[in-house]
Amino acid sequence: MLRRIAALFSYPFRLTSRGLLCAFLLWTPVLSHAAGAVVQIDADAQYRFAERYFSTGEYSRAVDEYKRFIYFFPDDGRLAQAMYQCGMSFYLDRRYADAAASFNEVIEKFTDTPWAVKSYLMVSESQIHLNQFGAAVITLHNLITLSKAVDVRDEAFYRLGWIYIETASWDNARIYFEKISSANREKFRLERLSAELSQRAGIAAKSPVLAGALSIVPGGGFLYCERYQDALIAFLLNGALIWAGYEAFDNDNKALGALLTFVEVGFYAGNIYGAVGSAHKFNRTKTEGFIENLKKNTKIDLSGDPQSSSIRLSLRFAF
Amino acid sequence: MKSIQPVISVILFFVIVLCQTGFAGAQDALPPPVGDVPRTVRANESNPVLNPLRFITDIISRADGDRCPMFPTCSQYSAQAIQKHGFLKGWIMTSDRLMRCGRDELRLSDTVMIDGRKRSYDPVDNNDFWW
Repeated sequence: MLRRIAALFSYPFRLTSRGLLCAFLLWTPVLSHAAGAVVQIDADAQYRFAERYFSTGEYSRAVDEYKRFIYFFPDDGRLAQAMYQCGMSFYLDRRYADAAASFNEVIEKFTDTPWAVKSYLMVSESQIHLNQFGAAVITLHNLITLSKAVDVRDEAFYRLGWIYIETASWDNARIYFEKISSANREKFRLERLSAELSQRAGIAAKSPVLAGALSIVPGGGFLYCERYQDALIAFLLNGALIWAGYEAFDNDNKALGALLTFVEVGFYAGNIYGAVGSAHKFNRTKTEGFIENLKKNTKIDLSGDPQSSSIRLSLRFAF
Repeated sequence: MKSIQPVISVILFFVIVLCQTGFAGAQDALPPPVGDVPRTVRANESNPVLNPLRFITDIISRADGDRCPMFPTCSQYSAQAIQKHGFLKGWIMTSDRLMRCGRDELRLSDTVMIDGRKRSYDPVDNNDFWW
């Protein structure tokens, strides 16, 4: 009886094991065939694959494929190019810190090559995106010190000038633009740039000191900074609180008067603070607008083209 | 003397309404779009100066709803300003922000989308960069 019960329970297991055995035997030829189809990727195929991702804008995948190329084909003649392209993929993917690190690697490994020059320029570009203007200036100074080529030095001077324009240091910008050799002055359109720069005196500006002084009458500073709604609210709010405080003290309600005075002191000081800040914001907005206009009209888009041996200039002008 | 009391009450009401508009809506569901901005007043629990703000965000804003058109909201801004610059400067910056909230700043500042709603981006950094 017990044997029968045991046999009954073991039947499904036996059935399953037989089934698995049959499946294994049936699939064995298929599996062995699949194992035989090994795909071999050579350096050309791997590089093309990475380039494909780069050209379609899938930069994070392009980074992986360039790294795979660098790892598996370290003796290939395109190693420097692959490393540079890896940095470019990071840069175009807006991973600027990674891009700078990647370009620095190219500089270290391929010091005396055109790729190192391009990498210096791209390191400075990455640092500008990271708001590390000081570091970008140092990088370009290093390039100027190391390079003897006039074109490279001129481009570095041009980029330095633009870094100073970005930070509204007009005189420093002019100094670097003047260092560009006479042979390249036309290429960089310096005459037009200089003419546009001289118009900076016409940038509208508000005096923060005057804004603060005018705020003695609540809202006056905001009015001066062309913030009319803020001016009205500041005037009404401060006026109402001053009047309420005065009336409270006048009616011997000292506790309420003190409370109102405490609130009003904050709002009155806030009115002055806001007016001074508004003047600074106004000036900042106008300066940024001027710089943007300057870029649109005069800046040459310099980009380190990985395919060319020299530095490519793509011109964008408003005529 | 009695005749002046309603006037003061009206003025106080006016002040409270103005302040409340700015302080409302401190509990945004989405993370801030830029930088490492504390999301609520609870960012610094130990600072007792922030207790009044906590009262506003926990009690008033829950009932009143999310109405501040700025980001960070005025209560968040106030907490950040106090944490960054101390009570006195923080209080002055808060007063300034309350006067500007929802007015010219909407026209002049950048816009960000928070919870599917447009808000004017006016962080503390945008108001203390000049000193």
